[in-house]
Amino acid sequence: MAIKPKAGGFVLRVDPILCDGFGHCHELAPELVQIDEWGYPIIKGTPTPLSDADALESARFAVRGCPRQALRIERTPTSN
Amino acid sequence: MIAFTSPYIWYTTRATGFVALILFTLVVALGTFVANRIGGTYVGRFELNELHRSISMVAIVFLMVHILTTLVDSYVPTGWFSAVIPLTSKYEPVHVALGAVAFDLILAVWVSSLLKARIANRSWRFIHWFSWLALASALAHSFLTGTDSRSSWGLALGVVCAAVALASALWRYFARPTRAAGRTALSPLAVAPLDGDARDESARRDPSR
Repeated sequence: MAIKPKAGGFVLRVDPILCDGFGHCHELAPELVQIDEWGYPIIKGTPTPLSDADALESARFAVRGCPRQALRIERTPTSN
Repeated sequence: MIAFTSPYIWYTTRATGFVALILFTLVVALGTFVANRIGGTYVGRFELNELHRSISMVAIVFLMVHILTTLVDSYVPTGWFSAVIPLTSKYEPVHVALGAVAFDLILAVWVSSLLKARIANRSWRFIHWFSWLALASALAHSFLTGTDSRSSWGLALGVVCAAVALASALWRYFARPTRAAGRTALSPLAVAPLDGDARDESARRDPSR
């Protein structure tokens, strides 16, 4: 049985109340997170396909690395 | 209790005690680096955080060996519960109690960090403040109980650890960065202009645009 490619996508979401601008998410997932001039994250708003394993791994590192547990990965039905 | 003693167990207790003290001092100093937003140019902020997390695991292993060899060695009657319950040791009750207090606090910090994803971040932070008390208690325990800690090199080591701990505490208190402290520029993408996606996101968040 062939493994079906994963459908759908994901978006990294930040809880702006928990975020204290440590900037770890940007270092861990630069392809998904930009940093504004005060050090807060600007996260890529459009969904990334789940098949993009590198981006998904970066996102997981960012979630794990956040000192304030302010990030989560949200799944979306479509990838773009 | 099983009567079991060997000088090598005692040597292990002394050596791992010193190593654990050095490592926990390093962990606290690195934690202060992370909290004070150090890094972002030559070393990543996340790298300091990862060092903080992984060295704490190594420190806990040394602490466990330190405690186990103390309990197993019947030469000093500490009693099995003296590692967690203060003042239950027949040998130097107060001095061993300081170690027990440090161990209990370290356990609290460790368990809360393991459960970090499941508990409120605010609770985790509150428990994480205990690590300062734990280090202070461990330093006092080391100085008062240690066989070598009042001799030349042992004393020097204790003084260096205490100085690092005090410097970290003062730095943490006076720097007090509660919010963002500027951008981290480690990634080559950091200076790149915002792409379309990022602009979409900021527009989505700010309805006036």
